[in-house]
Amino acid sequence: MDASLILNLVIFGPLIGMVLVLLAPADKAKHITWATTFIVLLLSLTLFPPFLNGSAFDGGYGENMQAVTQHDWINVVGLKIQYYIGMDGMSFPLIILTTLVMWLAAWTSWNFDTWKVNKGAKGYFALFLLLETGVLGTFAALDFFLFYIFWELMLLPMYFLIGVWGGAKKEYAAIKFFIYTLAGSVLMLVALLAMYYSSADATGTGTFNLISYATIDAIKANFNDPAHLFLGWNFGKVMFIFLFIGFMIKVPLFPFHTWLPLAHVEAPTPISMILAGVLLKLGAYGFLRVCYPIFPEAATQLAFLIATLGVINIIYGAFCCLAQTDFKRLVAYSSISHMGYVVLGIAVMTTTGFQGAMFQILAHGISSPMCFFLVGVIYDRAHHREINRFGGLWLQMPKYGSLATLGFFASLGLPGLCGFIGEAWVLLGTFNADFAWAKPMAVVAAFGVVLTAGYILWMIQRVYLGPERDEYKGYPDVTAREVGILTPMAILAIFMGILPGYTFQLMNGTLDSVLQAMGVAGKAIAAATIGG
Amino acid sequence: MPQSILASMWMPSADELAQLAPLFALVGVIVTLLLGAMFTNRNRNVAASIVTIGAIATGMLAFRRLQSGAPSWAGFDPTGMGPMLISDTFSQFFIVLACVFMLIVTSMWWLGQKSDLPDSEVHRHDATEFFVLFVGSAFGMSLMVSTTNLLMIILAVEMASLPSYGITAFRKKNRVAAEGALKYVLFGAITSAIMIYGASLLYGYFGTLDLARIGEKIAAEWTGGATTSTIFVSVALFAFMIGIAFKVSAVPFHFWCPDVFQGASIEVTTWLSVASKAAGLGLMLRVLSVILCSPATFPVEALSYVSWTIAIMAAVTCTVGNLAAYRQMNLKRLLAYSSIAHAGYMLMAVAILWRPDDAGAGLAHPAFSAVVSYIVMYLLMNAGAFFVIAMVYWATGSESITAMNGLIRRSPMLAICMAIILFSLIGMPPLGGFYAKFYLLSAVWSAGLEWLVIVAVLNTLLSLYYYARIVRAMILTDDGLPEFAAPMSGQLVVAVCTLAILLTGTFYAQTLKNVGDNNAKGLYAVVKTDAAARTASAE
Repeated sequence: MDASLILNLVIFGPLIGMVLVLLAPADKAKHITWATTFIVLLLSLTLFPPFLNGSAFDGGYGENMQAVTQHDWINVVGLKIQYYIGMDGMSFPLIILTTLVMWLAAWTSWNFDTWKVNKGAKGYFALFLLLETGVLGTFAALDFFLFYIFWELMLLPMYFLIGVWGGAKKEYAAIKFFIYTLAGSVLMLVALLAMYYSSADATGTGTFNLISYATIDAIKANFNDPAHLFLGWNFGKVMFIFLFIGFMIKVPLFPFHTWLPLAHVEAPTPISMILAGVLLKLGAYGFLRVCYPIFPEAATQLAFLIATLGVINIIYGAFCCLAQTDFKRLVAYSSISHMGYVVLGIAVMTTTGFQGAMFQILAHGISSPMCFFLVGVIYDRAHHREINRFGGLWLQMPKYGSLATLGFFASLGLPGLCGFIGEAWVLLGTFNADFAWAKPMAVVAAFGVVLTAGYILWMIQRVYLGPERDEYKGYPDVTAREVGILTPMAILAIFMGILPGYTFQLMNGTLDSVLQAMGVAGKAIAAATIGG
Repeated sequence: MPQSILASMWMPSADELAQLAPLFALVGVIVTLLLGAMFTNRNRNVAASIVTIGAIATGMLAFRRLQSGAPSWAGFDPTGMGPMLISDTFSQFFIVLACVFMLIVTSMWWLGQKSDLPDSEVHRHDATEFFVLFVGSAFGMSLMVSTTNLLMIILAVEMASLPSYGITAFRKKNRVAAEGALKYVLFGAITSAIMIYGASLLYGYFGTLDLARIGEKIAAEWTGGATTSTIFVSVALFAFMIGIAFKVSAVPFHFWCPDVFQGASIEVTTWLSVASKAAGLGLMLRVLSVILCSPATFPVEALSYVSWTIAIMAAVTCTVGNLAAYRQMNLKRLLAYSSIAHAGYMLMAVAILWRPDDAGAGLAHPAFSAVVSYIVMYLLMNAGAFFVIAMVYWATGSESITAMNGLIRRSPMLAICMAIILFSLIGMPPLGGFYAKFYLLSAVWSAGLEWLVIVAVLNTLLSLYYYARIVRAMILTDDGLPEFAAPMSGQLVVAVCTLAILLTGTFYAQTLKNVGDNNAKGLYAVVKTDAAARTASAE
């Protein structure tokens, strides 16, 4: 099959599954969802050969997009919108990550009937699949308007998934998530219009093509022209900030992070997995796809501010983790801390930084769903998440304890596991950057690694080590299903940690091209190509 | 001699009469209703049938005129002093919309009559009177979009308003309805008085009732700098516009709207929520565009005060509407404020009439297209939303937001459709409401009013909360209210509206834009002039 056809099927396959879920009896919903997400995963894996043999693999960006579908969608006087999707080294790994995490989350939803709120299985699984289409579409979209449509499409299913099937404070969590995200997207809408009409000024015909924005010289010059004003301010800077705020809410970056712990704690386990594993990545992906390639000037000027926010995320998130007594909340704050590395890596605009950020996106996409699932496993048995009430679980549940240690060590950034590589690359990239503040910034950020080790080890000590407690006597060890869900993530965590080169190879080419298009002289360290 | 008097009198030709066929048809419906009532002992079903058939017939006539495309506009212009009535694509399109909406409202009446709830007055013996007034207001609204003559505009606005007061007060024993109708009458009377005053000033100064001529004279007086008449004309024109702003329920002429919406029976609320605003906006666009486009190069600065007033009014209208909707517990009142907010968005398109446009030759200013697209979507969304509220009302007897609690269990189909409609009202993609808003905002943006777009998107954010409150009640809250079976035909209407919203949002997004563009072509007196010339005069 043609790669572009497969990509379309991957994006809209979940919608077909959604229709089936709605038509079939409610007790079959989870089977259909599992099968749909699994087929979508397999389909997305078949994209590997064409991707590895294609031009995107080594430096694809702009002309060298893979699996492209490009049709006019709305074409009237003064407005031209395209259905334009494709993939390159930035989106392809994330598409695979999404299909994998969604499949695992569908499998996690298998015990839907035992949930506290277990009504409306059809609705739950239908929204679940709609969410998958939204996420995959956002990763694949190359037309800004289409990107926006898919971006918004994710919002509604997530609102209901948290709001209906969540915990005690679900309604508040859901509306907070909704309002925060919509606030970001209305800013994006303003930028959308502004960029369209500015590109029309620059070239005569307006375009929403994200690649054209970054590669056509006339548009680039217009967007980054210091004399180009928008309501009295520099156009590039204003647009960059609008878009940045839109994406940073999703990351989430301090000070817009408050929706995240709430949403995570209230959401059911599979939804937390998706939220941490995939949805947070969309914000960072937005930086890489939209903000940085299109507005390099503004990005350079604001680098210090953004890097500072990244470091605040790292340190502040880690301190918050130390203070948590709720297991799930701790993992949620650790997500905030880890996403700080991504932002820092992007902010310094070096090759190593970009590579580290991208790697960290993927590594966190593996380790955080794993951590949330591990929390879910114990919550299903104990029905509480108080860290201080746990203890000695390793003795009671040896297999669970071992897998949990692996998962949390991956999150901690233990060398040999996936978390380490991303953090190391980001810190190296920051240290190496041209900015005067870069080296002190790297030193401060490195302190976050110590804090991370601190809260994770302390948590492991309180939950898994220590003497066996009577309260947890007789708890069954992880079931075959739970092992099945944990295994792919565990394997990937080890694989990415020991042989990072294969993962780097997927994206290095594209990231180099992006940096080149940005006109930023990327500083690569020789080590960036080890293992490949 | 009678002979010579007759010869000197102007008589319209058959062709000219044919152009006004939809308007005659509406008058015919009113006459048939009154006669039918006499012969059928005021049978309410007969009256409703007459309206149904009449609306279909009128809609078909107007639609045929739209399709024929032959003379895209034509006026009754016996003396060469400017026409009293015009019939162009814009007016015919609005008549088609009005007829579709009349059908929707009448079908709501049929269903409401069958509900278990005790009949309200609109459903009782007085149904004939209700329908006469109802069609009368539809006729007035059709006139509003078919004229550019000051006198005719005043007549049309009154023709639309007076029956509206009547149908609002139709729930005779209901205090809220009485209060709403009284407010409506008082506000209507005052704004009409101001409007007539403005018209008299314009007539007194320019000596003509024809807006095109007034436009030419304003342009002629303009000699590059401010003329003595600039302020005077702006004030007169603005006073005239107040009567129209009242129909649109633009802030600060909106106070009648929530009370009327809450008090009137739900059929009337549904009707007024869309039809009154659509006709008002159509008229406002018409009045201003005829003035601004009559001479080839109108000095747009001459009316810059009016332009700014309307832009600010649009911004204030949507903000006030959205903020006031927050605390509402009554669904009809909540949607009243929401309709004020949507009127604000649409007013933004009126504000860009002053800006040079880049539409091709033969096309009207993009403002027309934007408003047409928006109204089409708004009609679908409001019809669906009010139908759901009506069915919940018939089942529970309550219009409070708590009546919606747990709707997802009680009537899943209605809840899902309502959720989609509400998200479309917020303007979330991929739903039709988003595209309507997007086309409107992109027109406003390309006209250079970026700040208005920012106001609009911030308002989208404001509006989220109160629409989401209804969604929350329907889907997240459940206090064990009993299930109910909504009438199948009502569900069908809601489903059709929802499907249209979904399809417009996905596959037919361009169709919406095309509908807007096509019905903004070939307008009377908006002869496309060289865009460069207008640009030059705007700067």
